[in-house]
Amino acid sequence: MSTLALLLSQFVDALSQSALLFFLGVGLTLIFGLMRIVNFAHGALYMLGAFVGYSLGTWSGNYWLALAGAPLLVGLFGTAFEFSILRRLYRRDAHAFLMVTFGLALVVGEAVRLTWGSDALKVAAPPVLSGVVFLLDEPFPVYRLFLAATGIVVAVAIWQFLERSRLGLLIRATSQNADMANALGVDIKLIRSCVFGIGCGLAALGGVLAAPLVTASNGMAATVIIDAFVIVIIGGMGSFLGSLIGALLIGFVQVFGNYYAPDFALAFMYLVMLAVLVVRPGGLLGKEA
Amino acid sequence: MSGHFRPSRRAMLKVGLAGAATVASPAILRLTASAQSGPIKIGLPLALTGALGSVGQQQKRGAELYAKIQNAKGGILGRPIELLIEDTAGNPANCVRKAQEMVERRDCRLLTGITLSSEALAVVPKLAEWDSIFISSDNGDGRLTAESLVPNFFRANISGPMGTRAVSLYLRTAKLQKFYALGLDYAWGHNSVQVFEQEAVKSKKEFIGKVFAPTGTKDYSPYITKIRQSGADAVFLVLQGDDNNAFLSQAQQYRLPEKVKLLTEIVDLASIRAVGDASLGLIGSSRYSFTYDHPLNNEFVALWKKEHGTVPDTFEGEQWQCMKVFEAGIVKAGGIEAAKLRAALEDIEIESVKGKVHIRKCDHQGVQQGFMVEVVKKPGFDTPVPEVIATFPGDSTTPTCNTMTFKD
Repeated sequence: MSTLALLLSQFVDALSQSALLFFLGVGLTLIFGLMRIVNFAHGALYMLGAFVGYSLGTWSGNYWLALAGAPLLVGLFGTAFEFSILRRLYRRDAHAFLMVTFGLALVVGEAVRLTWGSDALKVAAPPVLSGVVFLLDEPFPVYRLFLAATGIVVAVAIWQFLERSRLGLLIRATSQNADMANALGVDIKLIRSCVFGIGCGLAALGGVLAAPLVTASNGMAATVIIDAFVIVIIGGMGSFLGSLIGALLIGFVQVFGNYYAPDFALAFMYLVMLAVLVVRPGGLLGKEA
Repeated sequence: MSGHFRPSRRAMLKVGLAGAATVASPAILRLTASAQSGPIKIGLPLALTGALGSVGQQQKRGAELYAKIQNAKGGILGRPIELLIEDTAGNPANCVRKAQEMVERRDCRLLTGITLSSEALAVVPKLAEWDSIFISSDNGDGRLTAESLVPNFFRANISGPMGTRAVSLYLRTAKLQKFYALGLDYAWGHNSVQVFEQEAVKSKKEFIGKVFAPTGTKDYSPYITKIRQSGADAVFLVLQGDDNNAFLSQAQQYRLPEKVKLLTEIVDLASIRAVGDASLGLIGSSRYSFTYDHPLNNEFVALWKKEHGTVPDTFEGEQWQCMKVFEAGIVKAGGIEAAKLRAALEDIEIESVKGKVHIRKCDHQGVQQGFMVEVVKKPGFDTPVPEVIATFPGDSTTPTCNTMTFKD
């Protein structure tokens, strides 16, 4: 394998991993930016997305339906959760949210185990995405190219949504000053329900997209939640662009770090976070802490 | 305040001690009595969640079916079996805490099922203090029956070095020459890769290199690239649970098996189900498979199918065998007192689902047949299944006493 082929393959792979991390991180950061809630259930919802995707795919035999349906269903579940439970807690301090979302993570984890069992489940990519392409004569899975492309499309879509749409404008307004937005007639309760649902749906999108790589398993939640928090901390809590930069940084550090210095694979991610926090305690694009 | 009666500290201490003794004495009597009669408590601190959660769940199911069947027959020595099951999430510190609670608060003196070798290595130094016997049903790390052996530890399962040895014996006659190894970055992974390296060198094969991945790795592409670049004919895998599933799925996506033969220390049915055709052609040692043709195994598989509607998996079979070793030991000892049970287990031999299992006195390792299997498609099964391609007598796959090395 030539050095150029190796670097190209690693570059595209890092993009695909960054995409998965971005879906997690951006949902978490949107929710925090608007509601000041650290959603501990984010990993569990990512896992739920993978399992719902598995069932939709098995039931319909259509991967695309699973890909669209899982985020939608989990998003609706998130909205319903915000509407029925979180809404009662906004007057309380942050501890209440920590406890409730942590509880949600436990409940979702156990519900998944009871519904789908404790064994990992196979989620196959559709035939059109199952092949390989040759990057400078080296085989590279089409599915990872698809992941990278999806990441770019979703990032642009969220950016355009936040910047150009009316709902995006209201979200930004509520995020900057909820009381003022409320005084101007914005229904901030509705905005909060929407954003919590969108965040949960994005986590589920990450889960359903990751499933062909790692299978749908009960252990998914535990391994991703830390990555998601690291991304949000690096990027700055509440910053959309920050979560994108954080996901790219961690994706590249993981892929290149695991290859060139596998003995320090675990440490790299935290070293990057540490370095960012030393230079900018509020994260790269966050407000100074 | 000065006019009030104030008891001296000494008097208070006496009253306190007397009170505590009065409250505690029935409990102490009850505990002593329950150790001799009452239910036989077997504690299973299991990794029911986390990356190796699927392994812990298998162990749980294996132990539960055994307890159900045995209790229906009247238990052991006329005493019912009570399983104490706790989740450790695969964390050694959690595991020690949960095991300690089982021993000290619930008067449980028999332990099994501790899922990870790193957890087992953390627990074994405590066994003497707890006056408890721990029989491993899945711990692979060779050190547990070598340099880290303690008198109250026994291993009923095939260890990592034994599985690795079966692979290396098989490879002696194979055409493959150059090997690379990928292991999980904890005790079991390092131990098995080390033994494989020694065996490969001994067999005059070329061992090109090794790499270790942290448990819970999601993207195996950097490791797949390393394997592909190494120029090896085959890669020896020491992976388990979610990591194994992720690696096999991704290796197939990168078409790695077309270039490099995949060998594994352990072929696990749960992984085969999870990755489907990505496991086809995988060759490895097997700690237990429902396909072993042995009357007791056929009976066990039929029982399992009746209970669960499917065939038993690797650690369900291993846990079942472990419970059978416990049973034989308790019957021989006439109770569960640690000193007597230890003496009874040393040199015990049982007929199990895998054939004869002999617990060696010298290092408490269960000597048993070694199996090599290949994952193939078979009519009548939805997913690929492991098919036995070679068996090796226990004497040839079990290391020299108290070591992780082999004579030849």
